[in-house]
Amino acid sequence: MCYCKWNDNCSDMEIDFGSEENASIVFSALAVDKELQPDKVKRLMTVSDGKLSAHFEATEARFLRASFSAFVDVMTLATKTIEEFGQGMKL
Amino acid sequence: MKRMIALGFEGSANKIGVGVVTLDGTILSNPRHTYITPPGQGFLPRETAQHHLQHILPLVNSALETANITPQDIDCLCYTKGPGMGAPLQVSAIVVRVLSLLWKKPIIAVNHCVAHIEMGRVVTGADDPVVLYVSGGNTQVIAYSEGRYRIFGETIDIAVGNCLDRFARVLTLSNDPSPGYNIEQLAKKGEKFIDLPYAVKGMDVSFSGILSYIEATAVEKLKNNECTPADLCYSLQETVFAMLVEITERAMAHCDTKDVLIVGGVGCNERLQEMMRTMCSERGGRLFATDDRYCIDNGAMIAYTGLLEFAHGASTPLEDSTFTQRFRTDEVKAIWREANSAKLNGLAEKSI
Repeated sequence: MCYCKWNDNCSDMEIDFGSEENASIVFSALAVDKELQPDKVKRLMTVSDGKLSAHFEATEARFLRASFSAFVDVMTLATKTIEEFGQGMKL
Repeated sequence: MKRMIALGFEGSANKIGVGVVTLDGTILSNPRHTYITPPGQGFLPRETAQHHLQHILPLVNSALETANITPQDIDCLCYTKGPGMGAPLQVSAIVVRVLSLLWKKPIIAVNHCVAHIEMGRVVTGADDPVVLYVSGGNTQVIAYSEGRYRIFGETIDIAVGNCLDRFARVLTLSNDPSPGYNIEQLAKKGEKFIDLPYAVKGMDVSFSGILSYIEATAVEKLKNNECTPADLCYSLQETVFAMLVEITERAMAHCDTKDVLIVGGVGCNERLQEMMRTMCSERGGRLFATDDRYCIDNGAMIAYTGLLEFAHGASTPLEDSTFTQRFRTDEVKAIWREANSAKLNGLAEKSI
């Protein structure tokens, strides 16, 4: 059930890190950057059970697409950084 | 005592670099990767950010391996806060935040322009020069005064490097290793000087009008065989570099300083260095300049400047580790220089 203010243009995603610590790290790293157009796109992030959930709503589909795809890029980067340099890193 | 080590990330334009340095300025590693576009094309924020996304993590590995250190050896993580392109800046910021949380290391946000200056100072040993900072995104004449790097003159429109890069696109010169380098090589073969507008406005310079003029006349003149591409490169370089030397000389007179330091990507142009050296020697001063390893954006300059700040007690809380496209050189309090001058004053008092 979606309670978006801007009815159609909303999107959700959930990433299961299987670890509360890693999910929180990604959450904290991504939460620093606010949405560039807060009047057009809203982003809501939460962490629970080692899962990061992000909810997006936008006034127009094109704003939603831009924000969502940029978010996926940085989320992927943060995740890869943990995989590469988190606990048990080689060296 | 254990030496302090910083890991620095630079990704404000089309270069992504990761460097490891110690507080005395020793560079343990400094790998970087450049996003090179096809001839005739510039780099755009989105594509540049994608390039950085692909290369940043392998660069971190390579920087740690070459420096032969482990994360435990690192004292702080430094990144470019700005100025620069938003999307590419974000890549370094994200990685630094995650590493800071993983490794429990403090973050230092660094101003890109100040980093160029500090890198130039430590590499050349210039103590208190007038600084000409010339690159694809910035053109400023800077000197240190009362706690900050003050801007004495700057471009009022586009950067000198942007002017050169965009003219290279008109001639469809290669962007490998950089458009400016290829203009410099071609300019050596120039024989005929073509008059171009000369736009110095007080302490400031303007390049957009020169670019429009040469873009419009180049096609025409080349078609009529009135000149060669080499003549145009030569004339453009001579004109814009003369403007830069003029405002630098005026800043020197104002600050009563004899030494000049050139930093930034355009700073590795040997013709610019030669013209500036002539001016400095006429005033009984010296020119300090570096080659492409330090002039062009790199991670070590960010690491070194961040480490200077960290050693003087500064650090950036995670929630403030943002990035910004606009971040002027004079917004930064150069706390490490204040401390040094206080020390010198202390010594002077003792000797009296």
